[in-house]
Amino acid sequence: MSKSLVNIESRKKSLHYFFEKVVGPLGFKFTSDEDLMNFLLEQEVILESKHGIPFCPCQPLRNDRARDMQIVCPCIPFHRKHFDEIKRCWCGLFIHKDIIDPDKLPQLPPKEVNNE
Amino acid sequence: MNKITVYTLSTCPWCRKTKNFFNEHKIPFTYIDYDLADEPTQRRILQEVDAAGVNGFPYVKINDEVIVGYQPDRYSKALGL
Repeated sequence: MSKSLVNIESRKKSLHYFFEKVVGPLGFKFTSDEDLMNFLLEQEVILESKHGIPFCPCQPLRNDRARDMQIVCPCIPFHRKHFDEIKRCWCGLFIHKDIIDPDKLPQLPPKEVNNE
Repeated sequence: MNKITVYTLSTCPWCRKTKNFFNEHKIPFTYIDYDLADEPTQRRILQEVDAAGVNGFPYVKINDEVIVGYQPDRYSKALGL
């Protein structure tokens, strides 16, 4: 898929529609920070244009298929325990359904969750 | 003089916030955008983050302390701000 052939806004809407249906049953929703949401979705469209898959914008690709598949958005099922504990996914595109203010959710790695 | 190295992704908003933190505090730091780096550099960075047992960026080294994620309070504490 060539970047120049992708309508970014249209693809963002498609990803939003699809992701919402996937993360809802997992107990998550989109962040209420619309600027953050728009930026992250745009980055995912760009990553999808480059790699064919909307990877997480905040985790590194490794050229290791098994590892890389674990960061395909929405990557919640692969990091369920961690994300349930921090009430958000790593990039912050999704937050737990019971969260009102995403700004209060620190971006903690798994090792630090129990130290908070 | 603090030695600060930051590993980031050009696509990550939290990585941008991290760079902004150091810029706004006028604290010198070096950074590498992992996704824009050459393969040997990427391998070296992955070895380092794997050794630390993490997978997400930003990855911040302040002297000997490693802080993963956008955690401005911890940056401040490590720098004595």
